[in-house]
Amino acid sequence: MTAASLQGVGQPGGRAAGSLKAWQSQLTGYLYILPASILIFCFGLFPVGYALYMSTRRWRVVDRGYVGVENYLKAIGDPWSALLFAGGFLGLIGAWYLWTRPGSNRNPGYRVARIASLVVVAASLWLIPTGWAGMLSAGDDRFLNAIPITFYFAFGSIPVQLLVALCLAYILFQKIRGQEFFRMIFFLPYITPVIATALIFRNIFSPRELSIANRGMQAIGLPAQEWLFESERLLNLLFGTELGGFLAGPSLALVSIVFFGIWTYVGYNTVIFLAGLGSIDPTLYEAAEIDGASHIQQMRWITFPLLSPVTFYLSVIGFIGTFKAFNHIFVMMEPSALGTVTTVSINIFNTFNKANQFGYASAQAVLLLVVILYMTFVQSKVLGERVFYG
Amino acid sequence: MADTQIVKPIGLASARPRASARRGRAVRYRLGRLVLYGVLLLGGIISLIPFAWMMSASLMTLGETVTRQLLPSVPRFENYVQAWQDANFARYFLNSAVIAAAILSGQLFTSILAGYAFARIEFKGRGLIFSIMLSTLMIQGMVTMIPNFLVIANRVPFIPLPGGSWLNTLQGITVPGMASVFSIFLLRQFFAQIPWELWDAARIDGSGHNLFLIRVVLPLSKPAIFTVTVFVFIGAWNEFLWPLLVTTTETWRPIMVGLYRFAEEAGSLMHLMMAGSMITIVPILILYFLTQKQYTEGIALTGLKG
Repeated sequence: MTAASLQGVGQPGGRAAGSLKAWQSQLTGYLYILPASILIFCFGLFPVGYALYMSTRRWRVVDRGYVGVENYLKAIGDPWSALLFAGGFLGLIGAWYLWTRPGSNRNPGYRVARIASLVVVAASLWLIPTGWAGMLSAGDDRFLNAIPITFYFAFGSIPVQLLVALCLAYILFQKIRGQEFFRMIFFLPYITPVIATALIFRNIFSPRELSIANRGMQAIGLPAQEWLFESERLLNLLFGTELGGFLAGPSLALVSIVFFGIWTYVGYNTVIFLAGLGSIDPTLYEAAEIDGASHIQQMRWITFPLLSPVTFYLSVIGFIGTFKAFNHIFVMMEPSALGTVTTVSINIFNTFNKANQFGYASAQAVLLLVVILYMTFVQSKVLGERVFYG
Repeated sequence: MADTQIVKPIGLASARPRASARRGRAVRYRLGRLVLYGVLLLGGIISLIPFAWMMSASLMTLGETVTRQLLPSVPRFENYVQAWQDANFARYFLNSAVIAAAILSGQLFTSILAGYAFARIEFKGRGLIFSIMLSTLMIQGMVTMIPNFLVIANRVPFIPLPGGSWLNTLQGITVPGMASVFSIFLLRQFFAQIPWELWDAARIDGSGHNLFLIRVVLPLSKPAIFTVTVFVFIGAWNEFLWPLLVTTTETWRPIMVGLYRFAEEAGSLMHLMMAGSMITIVPILILYFLTQKQYTEGIALTGLKG
């Protein structure tokens, strides 16, 4: 929804009226948007500029003057490593560009471009961990560790969420009796205040022997777990390995929080998918049926392509949502999880509210904004190009 | 005669397999349905179990929650009374109701006007201003949180507040939430669909935008305004982080912050905590069950058009 789509809404023949009237109409327009604009400027736009300003200052409750990029250096550690790290991610975009650019394999540059793309990918895959290691050795561990935790959180919840929701929506769409009833039930977790549901989950995933989660484990013959109190990584718990760093995966505490996220958002995604399924023209299915397409073929060639904009929308919303996620993690985090559930948002809040480092927290928030802009860009480039807008 | 003799065997030959195929298909169809209902039922149970547990635990004695009984031996409704009193919920409920009402009226005022202007008045820079507003949706709450806190504490000289610091005041909690790009967008979409013939007729009658908005657009937009109202109310009721930051005293502390504080203080008294959670959920559940259809349809609409 941008300027282009606005033109359709314009007032036809507005300019034909007398110039005084036209001028009056303009003024009315500005007056109407004035209250909203003032508020959105003061609390939505201005703060971004002010956060940039704060991030360049030593600001612990009170402003103590300009320090340049010191806050940023404190977060990312060594600027050269950070440059390598960022370069790796930019390289991935470049590789994607090279891979898709030539189009048909009859193009002369096709092979060269593909090979170049693979080389760039390999280089990026070397750059990212190298840069990361450099950053970790010099930077703020708390801030840097929060980034992979947030990624685990996002990649753990969104694909599962989407898949389960798609299945449920697909079933509900089959002229099921009680469709509205089930939709209402699935939607309940989304609508209920997060603080209350997070408190319930804090009890369900409590480390006590008789907590609901541990009863479930017992029922399938597995040992009781510490759940939200468990800082041990999932892979190490499952296979008894002793991995460290990024490869070890999320801690069991984070996995419990991911369960909560899935439980909350499946209903929302189902509702949107259901609406998406409803917007597909039924004559397409009829035509396919006449042509003898099987059920699975219909799904593959009609349902999935026509649902792709919805899936895209939900994955973008989901990613932005996981980076924003605060309330339920704040309620469910336990000191004994040893910071393995501290996502970027939580860490910014702690830096700001507990450590009172306003300037440094602003710098982290700005870095987070950059990461999110990158992710949104990649999603709209890579996923967006594959989306079929019917 | 000859015709029927030719037709009959063909009919007979093909009728039998068709019938059995139909029967087979019917069986398969029923089995399929059974599986589908099974999956839905499982999903429903998973959605509801935490609520069931909350309700059950909220009626237990402390001892029963410790031993994690599944059901209370005797339901103790007095837990609710005790939680209500211990957590000072009466005050938080009132606070939250006032806060939600303030945010709601503010947001309706700003977004109806702006939504109308963006949909139906042509002015210079309209598209640009609207895109700038939409782009703020991409900005993280964490980025704006710290500066906004300083603004509300009246520590940003650039935006002086009338009456000094707004910490622990009603306006401190509500004013930043009184405009929402989301509501503006939703109302704009709806206002844009109102036929232009109505505006032409209104203009011939000599009415301007103000009258047209009040007399024609608003009555026609009741469903959209209702949807926005439900969204905003639920959002305001569930608000946590911002009020947590700007309230240090009980004066204006809303229900969700109150519930969190109560959980921190009464953490081990699980029956009371669950009763408290239940109390804070009830208004939202009632509102949701009453407006369930419009709400889900509103969600679906924003999801598809967004």
